[in-house]
Amino acid sequence: MSPETSPAPAPASGAQLPPPPSLADRIKTVAANPLCGVVVALVVIFVLSCLLSAHFLTAFNMKIIARSLAFVGLVTIGQAILMILGELDLSVGAIGGLSGVAGGLFMVQFGLDPWLSLVLCLALGTACGLLNGVLITQLRLHSLVLTIGMAGVYGGANLVLTKGVAITGIPGAISFLGRGMMFGLPVPFVILLVCLAIVSFVMLRTPLGRYVYAIGSNKAAARMLGIRVDAIRICAFASAGFLSALAGIVMVARLGTAQPSIGDTWVLAPIAAAVIGGVATTGGLGSPFGAVLGAVIIGIIENVIVLFGISPYWQSIVSGGIVVAAISFDSVARRYFNREA
Amino acid sequence: MVLLKATGIRKSYPGVVALDHIDLTLEPGKVHILAGENGAGKSTLIKTLSGLVRPDEGALAIEDGDALQEPRLFQRVAYVPQELNLFPYLTVAENMFMPFGRSGFGTITVSEKAMEREAEKFISRFGIHARADQKVADISVPDQQLLQIARAATQEEFRIMILDEPTSSLTAKETERLFRIVNDLRDKGIAIVFVSHKMEEIFSLGDTVTVLRNGRSVGTFPMADMTESELIRLMSGSTVKLDEQFQSRSETRDDDVILSVEGLSGPGFDDVSFTLRRGEILGFAGLVGAGRSEVMQTMFGFRKARAGRVMLEGKEIARNRPDKAVRAGMMYLSEERKHHGIFPMLSVRENIALAVTGAITKGGLISGARETATVSDIIGRFDVRTSSPEKKIMFLSGGNQQKAIIGRAMARKPRLLIFDEPTKGIDIGTKFQIYRIMQTLAEEGVGIILVSSEMSELQRCANRIVTMYAGQINGSFDHADTDVSTLVAAIIGSPETSHVA
Repeated sequence: MSPETSPAPAPASGAQLPPPPSLADRIKTVAANPLCGVVVALVVIFVLSCLLSAHFLTAFNMKIIARSLAFVGLVTIGQAILMILGELDLSVGAIGGLSGVAGGLFMVQFGLDPWLSLVLCLALGTACGLLNGVLITQLRLHSLVLTIGMAGVYGGANLVLTKGVAITGIPGAISFLGRGMMFGLPVPFVILLVCLAIVSFVMLRTPLGRYVYAIGSNKAAARMLGIRVDAIRICAFASAGFLSALAGIVMVARLGTAQPSIGDTWVLAPIAAAVIGGVATTGGLGSPFGAVLGAVIIGIIENVIVLFGISPYWQSIVSGGIVVAAISFDSVARRYFNREA
Repeated sequence: MVLLKATGIRKSYPGVVALDHIDLTLEPGKVHILAGENGAGKSTLIKTLSGLVRPDEGALAIEDGDALQEPRLFQRVAYVPQELNLFPYLTVAENMFMPFGRSGFGTITVSEKAMEREAEKFISRFGIHARADQKVADISVPDQQLLQIARAATQEEFRIMILDEPTSSLTAKETERLFRIVNDLRDKGIAIVFVSHKMEEIFSLGDTVTVLRNGRSVGTFPMADMTESELIRLMSGSTVKLDEQFQSRSETRDDDVILSVEGLSGPGFDDVSFTLRRGEILGFAGLVGAGRSEVMQTMFGFRKARAGRVMLEGKEIARNRPDKAVRAGMMYLSEERKHHGIFPMLSVRENIALAVTGAITKGGLISGARETATVSDIIGRFDVRTSSPEKKIMFLSGGNQQKAIIGRAMARKPRLLIFDEPTKGIDIGTKFQIYRIMQTLAEEGVGIILVSSEMSELQRCANRIVTMYAGQINGSFDHADTDVSTLVAAIIGSPETSHVA
């Protein structure tokens, strides 16, 4: 049993550069990127929509999509941060509705300055999110369960304030936020882009953003490293509350009335959008940018359903089915490219 | 007679050749040891033999049938993974016979009573201290480990059993129980594949040994002619001195107290006091469950303290605030690498960068260039073997994960580093690297605490050893004038030897 004559090549130490990857490896690297699935799906759906409907790719229709996308998009950013962190907030819709009508009340009933009302409304949404975060971290509750309860509380407060009736007579001063155009884009869409840019910057370029991914990947290890896990979780809930309130008040500005029903559809669509966009429901993976791309897909699908004149009775089945198909495609593709890695 | 014959097995993953033309032959009634450092390819090979991984090339014959063509032949192989994967809220019997359709205890409804009666047979055969109707969450970890083996053995037609580091969380007594079972199976003509890093086990159980290094087979040898140093040389490709000592040298030690703990009480321990002086490596010995990790984690603020004070270099550490402990210069490297150490879904780069955000930011923003430089410096200095810093850390071997975590902790320039079982499941070469790191740090004046269940490790590294028994400190011994039997007597709570030095 003589020792091996040709020993294995010296193990590659991390400091040395690995050999340049082959083309196949490069394709795999690109394909393994969590954004790849959603981009491919988005391109496919966009091209199909252009081919199937002559009315789809028009400036007018694009504006419609961009404007209606902004609301779910804003909520999606907040939900995506929470999901990356390993949390979920089912009260974002209720916070958006409550903050929106509260903003309306400040302006109409109390006659406050519209911009001051806007600030108060955002503060209220942030406070609601903060309360969620404090309860979840301090009482060690599961975010899903707590926010189901809080959705009831915030939604109920909305009804107590409005008695279910819309508040009309919103001052024209803020209608620009909902209806105006800026750089040729609808203002709500510009607000979405600005928020997305800020959040993406924080997530990618600051230690805080890294900590969010770390907590989502392994909460105990994050604590062991001295990361202030609970403080960051509370901040994330507060940010989600802020973004929901922003969506709520911009919606009020757009409608010109504060409807108690604002936010009713902002709960499930953002979660679906985030998953389509590559955010893992278990935390630690994905990006707000991907999640917003997921929201774009859902927005296009809903738009095309209307353009095709599909019976309203069928709309929900079609859009739900396409969402499931998109998620499945992503999951299957990821398993194919990521096998064992 | 040959039960299993693998020839020319090759398996590659993007960027790595995990197995490079491996041959392996298993004979009935023999214990075949698989030895090799972390990342040598042992796990991949085991998974190939049990049908969980399909090789790219090569042939695999089980009882003369081609197993790659007839997957049902893999039913002859009972595989016991290293990690516990039981259903904690189901009973012992249910865990044993899941899925019920296979075991014949339930096609439409589950016949609970009959199943429990059958389970009792396995319970007594494997010496598990549990009742068949007990929930797995309520039985001890060693019993869970044995239950896993029993579960594999319920597969009736098995002729080959693969045990992947089955003793890593067992005490000496429980290991003995396990060995009796292994010997019993061997006598019944089962071929056993046994993976272990512990030399005593390898030499007391093995008939033959196959050594892997970097995905290649170094050779297969009869255990009878093997010596410990020869085996280590084959595994690491280099020689290590078995009697090398890693205590910090006495001239670097002084009476300056780095850490003092006074009357600390918390979950699982009471009234613990000790001090750590500059330049010494303080060992903590004790049985599993004696409360050593609990003390460390409470000191660090990860668990809630009921009473007591922790002073680091004269400053009191706030209770229950790991973030403040870290800022004060304390770092804790947990025994539970998977649960408390790595961020499995993040890359090696991100895992390391998380601890050094101060060094890689410029005006509060992460600088890509600084990050790359800092991370590759740590990767190089601590010899973390990865094909790329972008690889997800969960795909690295245990030893390399550990080196990445240590490197990350060191980059923070801690004042006190607590190593909790730092070499659990880690090969000898890497072990010695870790010992050397501890020694260097201690000599540089960093406080080092080493919690270990391996007496040889404590003897090799610690200047002073504190023993714990049942949640209390019951002794403190100087390395220089203490023998192993005194220490062992203290950790098992033998009254006549426990004294406080």
